[in-house]
Amino acid sequence: MATLPETGPPAAVAAHVTCPLCGLDYQPGGETCREHGCPIAIGGCATQHCPRCGYTMPDESRSGAARLIRRLFRRQPPVVTHTAGSLAELPAGSFGVVERLQGPPDLLARLTAQGLAPGVAVHVLQRLPTFVIEVGETTLGLERDVAAGIVLRQS
Amino acid sequence: MGFNIGSDGSAAVAGLGAVPAGAAPDAHPRRIVLLGNPNVGKSALFNALTGLRATVSNYPGTTVEVYRGRLSGGSAEVIDSPGLNSLLPLSEDERVTWELVRSVRGDAGAVVVQVADAKNLRRALLLTLQLAHLEVPTVLVLNMHDEAQARGIKLDLAGLEAALGIPVRATVATRGLGLEGVIAALAAARAPRNHLPMPEDVGPPALALLCGAEPPPQHLPAFLSRYHEALLGHADAITRRFATDGNSTGKAFSRRLGRLAVHPVWGWPILLAVLYGLYEFVGVFGAGTLVDLMEDGLFHGYLNPWAVTLFSYLPVDLVRDLFVGEYGLITMGLSYGLAIVLPIIVTFFTCFALLEDSGYLPRLAVMSDRAFRVMGLNGKAVLPMVLGLGCDTMATLTTRILPTRKERLLAMLLLALGVPCSAQLGVILAMLAVVPASAAMVWFAAVAGVMLAVGWLAARVLPGERAAFVVELPPMRLPGLQNVLSKTAARVEWYLKEALPLFLVGTFVLFLLDRLRLLDVVIRVGEPVVTGILGLPAEASAAFLIGFLRRDFAATRLFDMSRGGGLDSVQIVVAMVTITLFIPCIANVFMIAKERGWRTAAAMAAFIFPLAFAIGGLVRVFMRATGLGVG
Repeated sequence: MATLPETGPPAAVAAHVTCPLCGLDYQPGGETCREHGCPIAIGGCATQHCPRCGYTMPDESRSGAARLIRRLFRRQPPVVTHTAGSLAELPAGSFGVVERLQGPPDLLARLTAQGLAPGVAVHVLQRLPTFVIEVGETTLGLERDVAAGIVLRQS
Repeated sequence: MGFNIGSDGSAAVAGLGAVPAGAAPDAHPRRIVLLGNPNVGKSALFNALTGLRATVSNYPGTTVEVYRGRLSGGSAEVIDSPGLNSLLPLSEDERVTWELVRSVRGDAGAVVVQVADAKNLRRALLLTLQLAHLEVPTVLVLNMHDEAQARGIKLDLAGLEAALGIPVRATVATRGLGLEGVIAALAAARAPRNHLPMPEDVGPPALALLCGAEPPPQHLPAFLSRYHEALLGHADAITRRFATDGNSTGKAFSRRLGRLAVHPVWGWPILLAVLYGLYEFVGVFGAGTLVDLMEDGLFHGYLNPWAVTLFSYLPVDLVRDLFVGEYGLITMGLSYGLAIVLPIIVTFFTCFALLEDSGYLPRLAVMSDRAFRVMGLNGKAVLPMVLGLGCDTMATLTTRILPTRKERLLAMLLLALGVPCSAQLGVILAMLAVVPASAAMVWFAAVAGVMLAVGWLAARVLPGERAAFVVELPPMRLPGLQNVLSKTAARVEWYLKEALPLFLVGTFVLFLLDRLRLLDVVIRVGEPVVTGILGLPAEASAAFLIGFLRRDFAATRLFDMSRGGGLDSVQIVVAMVTITLFIPCIANVFMIAKERGWRTAAAMAAFIFPLAFAIGGLVRVFMRATGLGVG
């Protein structure tokens, strides 16, 4: 998952944040909290406030919980280029092109009959509880062992 | 609705002159075989063409039976076949379609109508090109054309016709659009052409296989994947020429719901919600409200007193007792079968049809794959298991969708051993409602534990392989009301024909035993086991005896005993555990024998019945020793 660049503002704390309430562009990490006399400000809390309207936003660079919740609600993750050997190594949300299939012959006969063959683009939707992939208009659920046999083309 | 079917039958037969006349069938085919990939709307087209209802299912591979009907307004026979991805069969139910296609080849009056998902031309062409190889007269129907249009996919029907040399028609079968075009095109069915060259090491052997040569089985799958790859190469080329790529904006809600249902986090609350809905509808509404209405209201309130009055005019005691006595065919057999079992069956099968048609079941397979791995199965086994909660006998039949012999055997064993059918489940839920919650937990833990342990052990003892898990996830759809109702009605009818006679036979056996004073003998013979091991009243022997016929009948009998205050909570749990682990019914044994042979059926029975009593005894000892669930 390390290759996934986070979308949205929180990862880059130094950059500005746009307040969703009043629309002010501001640089978080200013002196606002201490100036307002917030007792938690000494240790540093995991929220940030708009200096104009005081609207509170989670600071995802500090809060693991906020990042987790963001991940749960994330829409389509960004498209990523990769250099994975097999489908089993691809992060959720990424694409690959099939180079060849490995596995028991009757499994391969089934996969090819479902349209999965060399040269086809595959989109990994998720990895747990099993892999779910899209091949053209077909959505397949498959176990990790099967995904590990789908060797990808090196781009 | 913005839908346009290209042209009528006559305009479309362009470019057919080049086809050898020998490939053409009679002007009016007598037999029409529908085939296609799973979930392309084959059964919907079948219904639209024949005006007859058939089972339409969303789970790949559910249409195990072949449906037949007559073309409305014509005399031709229409045959619906199970969905398949390649003509050359890999599983038992693909073989059904394969035999059908071969029979068309030898019959001048028969044609194949290949039904395709217009959104997924590439996969459909894999089959079309195999039909070309086999030279079977074919009409290609691109169904769900409206969905393809909504996705922005543009299909060049005339170009496809010219390239393949067969009539190609667009339809929306669920709304009856484009049907006349299909019927008009039947007479113009030809063997599809494939202009693209096939590699030397694939083409001729594939033809030999398609024509019926028996291959060395160990090389077949490896050859098939090369054959499919070659065909997919051709299919890609044709698809690129005659269909544009679509965008995936269409049906955004259905896509998102389909994704959420298998989401590693959100999938679980959805699963719990589905199970809770099932419990509320079947357990609370069906087994509670409806059973009360039917039993206390209809049977105890009206039918039984009427029958008793009616039969009181009969001078013969024997006949009177046969119908309305303690073990009367009406007062016991019919009221058990209709008042207690029927409401539960109806509500369960309604839920099952809803789940099936919505496309949720394959997603349930994804969520449950890991649990089934422990038992040597894979997620696909969830379909027979959930169906088993309705009727284990019916579920035993659907174990055919599992790919290996070992998995089919394992699934049958677990169904027979631990999955309570809805009739029994309803009675169990009603009985467990009167014991402490901890006692109900003991029942669940005992049954689930035995299933996991037996599955785990059997997976290691039985020879053979567990197949890797691959399941196709069809789009989530809103189930059609008519379809759900007709499917439920068909299954309830099947169940009544199957179960009600056995309820009557069971009652009759009890009546005979009672009359011949043999019931006392049975009770005395069963006493060491029933009282000694299980700690139940000796009269429960009669219930267990009938449990060999149908375990829900036995559960109902025990339910009756407990309502009279004859059982304490430990006895209730022990009785329920034992009867849950019984083989569901005599019909289930017959079904196992039919599928896997008498030796297997006998071995399962010899394993399950002693195990049921042993576990029942253990539960009794455990509960008495720990005091858990004693109320």
